[in-house]
Amino acid sequence: MVPLVQVEKLEKRFGEVCALDRVTFEVEAGEWIAIMGPSGSGKTTLINILGGLDHPSAGRVVVDGLEIGNLGERELTRYRADKIGFVFQQFHLVPYLTALENVMLAQYFHSITDEKEAAQALGRVGLSDRLTHVPAELSGGEQQRVAIARALINQPKVILADEPTGNLDEANEAVVLKLLRELHDAGHTILVVTHSQAIGNLADRRVELEHGRLARITVPSMAKE
Amino acid sequence: MFLRIVSDSFTRKPRRKVLTAAALALGMAVATATLEVALDVGDRLAREFRSLGANLLVTPASDTLPLEIGGVDYRPVDAGAYLPVSDLGKLKTIFWRNNVVGFAPFLDVPVSISSSGSQEISHEEMIGTWYSHSVTVPDGSAFTTGISATDPWWHVDGRWFSDAAEEGVAGAALAQRLNLRAGSQIKIDADGHSRTLTITGIVSTGGREDNSILAPLEIAQELAGRPGEYRRLLVSALTKPADSFSERDPSTMTPVEYDRWYCSPYISSISHQIQQQLPGVEVRAIRQVAEGEGRILTRVSGLMWIVTIAALFAAALAVGATSATTVLERRSEIGLMKALGASRRAVSAFFVAEQLFLALVGGVLGYALGIVLARELGIGIFGTAPELRWILLPIVLVLAAVVALLGSLLPLGRASRVDPAPVLRGE
Repeated sequence: MVPLVQVEKLEKRFGEVCALDRVTFEVEAGEWIAIMGPSGSGKTTLINILGGLDHPSAGRVVVDGLEIGNLGERELTRYRADKIGFVFQQFHLVPYLTALENVMLAQYFHSITDEKEAAQALGRVGLSDRLTHVPAELSGGEQQRVAIARALINQPKVILADEPTGNLDEANEAVVLKLLRELHDAGHTILVVTHSQAIGNLADRRVELEHGRLARITVPSMAKE
Repeated sequence: MFLRIVSDSFTRKPRRKVLTAAALALGMAVATATLEVALDVGDRLAREFRSLGANLLVTPASDTLPLEIGGVDYRPVDAGAYLPVSDLGKLKTIFWRNNVVGFAPFLDVPVSISSSGSQEISHEEMIGTWYSHSVTVPDGSAFTTGISATDPWWHVDGRWFSDAAEEGVAGAALAQRLNLRAGSQIKIDADGHSRTLTITGIVSTGGREDNSILAPLEIAQELAGRPGEYRRLLVSALTKPADSFSERDPSTMTPVEYDRWYCSPYISSISHQIQQQLPGVEVRAIRQVAEGEGRILTRVSGLMWIVTIAALFAAALAVGATSATTVLERRSEIGLMKALGASRRAVSAFFVAEQLFLALVGGVLGYALGIVLARELGIGIFGTAPELRWILLPIVLVLAAVVALLGSLLPLGRASRVDPAPVLRGE
């Protein structure tokens, strides 16, 4: 079976700095991958390239049959709308739009807005009673759940989460982790950049980077069980 | 969603939006006022110039060379060609008939004048013309014209003659020589015909009329033995300033150029049309007035355009400055939209819609303000307010949209090129 994500000898250079150095790994559909490593190891660069926000300097990245390095700007825009769901550490919700409208924004750029479907997505993350609240009226955990609902709304092939619990307290981190696990159980492919061992332990595999190089790919004991 | 985002941007930082709309409104106010006055100034100045006299001279094409000494035409009255008065109604049938504001036929007759109670005979010139005469136009309507229309500035002490009466007006110099005043009776003889006229006023034109008797055309025709005829015609027409195109020979023009020339109220095209309607005439522009008029109109229009362009440029700069700040502030929002799959066009559309709405508001306010400004300018310059031109409103709105979009072109380009990755990292 063809892997959903193929990364082959991926390189990314910013001038003299080599952020990613011949990184190679594959992700099967439905897998939960934790991308780990110290600060500056290239985790965010890797996820940006996978999400079509950045271009590789060399190597191949194929997601759902599309080689990202070959895509033009217009195709990359379409790729982001169709295949990727982003969850960011800082939530990145539009401050003047309600929770419902923030989810509908992703629908708007994808195709057409459907208020009922957006409300259902927020219901899935437990925010049915927060539809008309703007981000300032929501807790950090609730904002991140809105962001997860927004990431899911267009049924993306891959969910890319960059430190999704980095700005949350323990209670909210637990809520978000539970949500990610549910998404994984539902068959979603998730790649999470994290420093958190707890998240790393929940993943199927851990891709560990050091100085832009792939240090190791490990399988957490929980996943083995 | 589109309208939601655009409308919401107006509730955030409303002061900046007000500033942009105000800049556009001021620019558009100046543009409206100058356009209004510039459009009006052509007609106004043309009318003002028309008050200084006619701008076209019509003479018989086959006329002999004039023999004038001291302003008196010494050709025998039967020499040269004459034109029929009955054709004059056709002047109001040419393409630019509405621009023909007046015309006056003239027939000069050398006469002998003797004051009543005096045996002294003086050889002078009598100018027969219309003061205010009704001409029947071929379509059946009537057009009142004469020197009251072509030369309204001629000053008369007393009153003008009536076209149907045995009256005349004496030139100031002639009146002094012959000791004539309003109410004087004079006997006029020419070629065996004789008439007695009552002087109703003394005219002062600064021209040859000052040494002549002006009298109704019909009297001059009878004295000259030329009933129903005249020798020269002065036409006062509203014209467009001459330019290089108007100076071209129509026979060298392409059909399209000829149509454009024919349908423009150039002095040359109006002359051409008069020549078509009145066979056997030669039409000459009285260049001094026409060229002076053209030069002043060109200068006034040029000045108006410079002021308008400067105002629009200033408005565009103000719009550019505020939209640059807006784009800078909304970089993370733009970055997020692009990460969610928004195309450059989609991102630009939000800002374009905002700018167009501001242009609409600024344009309407500017138009209203500009009308008031134009009114003040019009009253200040011409003594009357310019005519309200609704056609300027859509023009000003389009202009406001163009200024708003051109002014925000650079910030818009920057917005559409925002790289989402560093923005979302908070860089």
